[in-house]
Amino acid sequence: MRSRDGNHSFSRRLSVVLLFSLALPLSASEYLISYRYVIKDALLYNESLTISQAMQKCKGSPYRELILENDASKDLKKIINQNSETFINYLHKLGLSVEHTEATVNAQNKSTTTLTLKTQCFKVDFNDNFARISPLK
Amino acid sequence: MKYNVLLVALFSASALFSVETIQETQVETIQPITADQPYTGEYENTQYAALDHQHIAQTVSEAPRAQPQPSEPVLSQREDMLITVTGQGVAPMNTSSPAQAYALAKRAAVADAYRMIAEKVKGVRIDGQDLIKNMMVKRSTVRTSVRAMVRNANVVETTFKEGLCEVEMEITLSHADFQ
Repeated sequence: MRSRDGNHSFSRRLSVVLLFSLALPLSASEYLISYRYVIKDALLYNESLTISQAMQKCKGSPYRELILENDASKDLKKIINQNSETFINYLHKLGLSVEHTEATVNAQNKSTTTLTLKTQCFKVDFNDNFARISPLK
Repeated sequence: MKYNVLLVALFSASALFSVETIQETQVETIQPITADQPYTGEYENTQYAALDHQHIAQTVSEAPRAQPQPSEPVLSQREDMLITVTGQGVAPMNTSSPAQAYALAKRAAVADAYRMIAEKVKGVRIDGQDLIKNMMVKRSTVRTSVRAMVRNANVVETTFKEGLCEVEMEITLSHADFQ
């Protein structure tokens, strides 16, 4: 669209805005999630769950979805915090890497077990009443 | 006469060399059997190099050899295998509520159960080392390690009593999972 004064600034601006508005939702619903917890001598020593929005589009198709209750929020961290137990159980079902080392020195035993979900891309669909989460593979 | 003496000396020398070679071959054949694993040659000429060959042969032959148990279950193509384990976890001392203690102990118990599943399915690596000085054991060390990926394990039952949480978990293995 050409303006009366002959410059293209209006059409350029419009196309840039359109491009951004169309491109953002493509990656907005994809999140990178990792989970790790360490047990030392049968005691929970450290637990970390990291969630971040993907800055690049992930490859793969979704499988094994989980539906969490949602009160019209689009904040995944908040939704997961509200349903943390369900989500952690779901991560266990997806599969965790187990690393265990145990040392017995002069009949004194020390053990460390680490369960890890390596950083994985999840597709998240937000709806009014629920959020649908599924990993991409 | 001189030639006869020389001949006898040569025969005796060759006889001595033949005894030594037999001892070496004995050791080489016995070593992989004791490991109960295919011989990789990893420890060749490192741990046993300084030791007397005859001594190794005797020690190795005396060691008990692990035989595969006939009743041990084997995963077949026709039927799945169910493995059940019970993991244990302890609640920390400084918890703000019994509910938190339960949650933390359960997390530890689940990890323990995962470890047990990994041990049963994939096996455990065990390293042992004893330090003996002046005929006395100075330090005895046993290290075990497990690395595996466990998925689709289910919690069957959870009990929490006096700070100890026990989680019974089961996993169904099928032949297709390992292909």
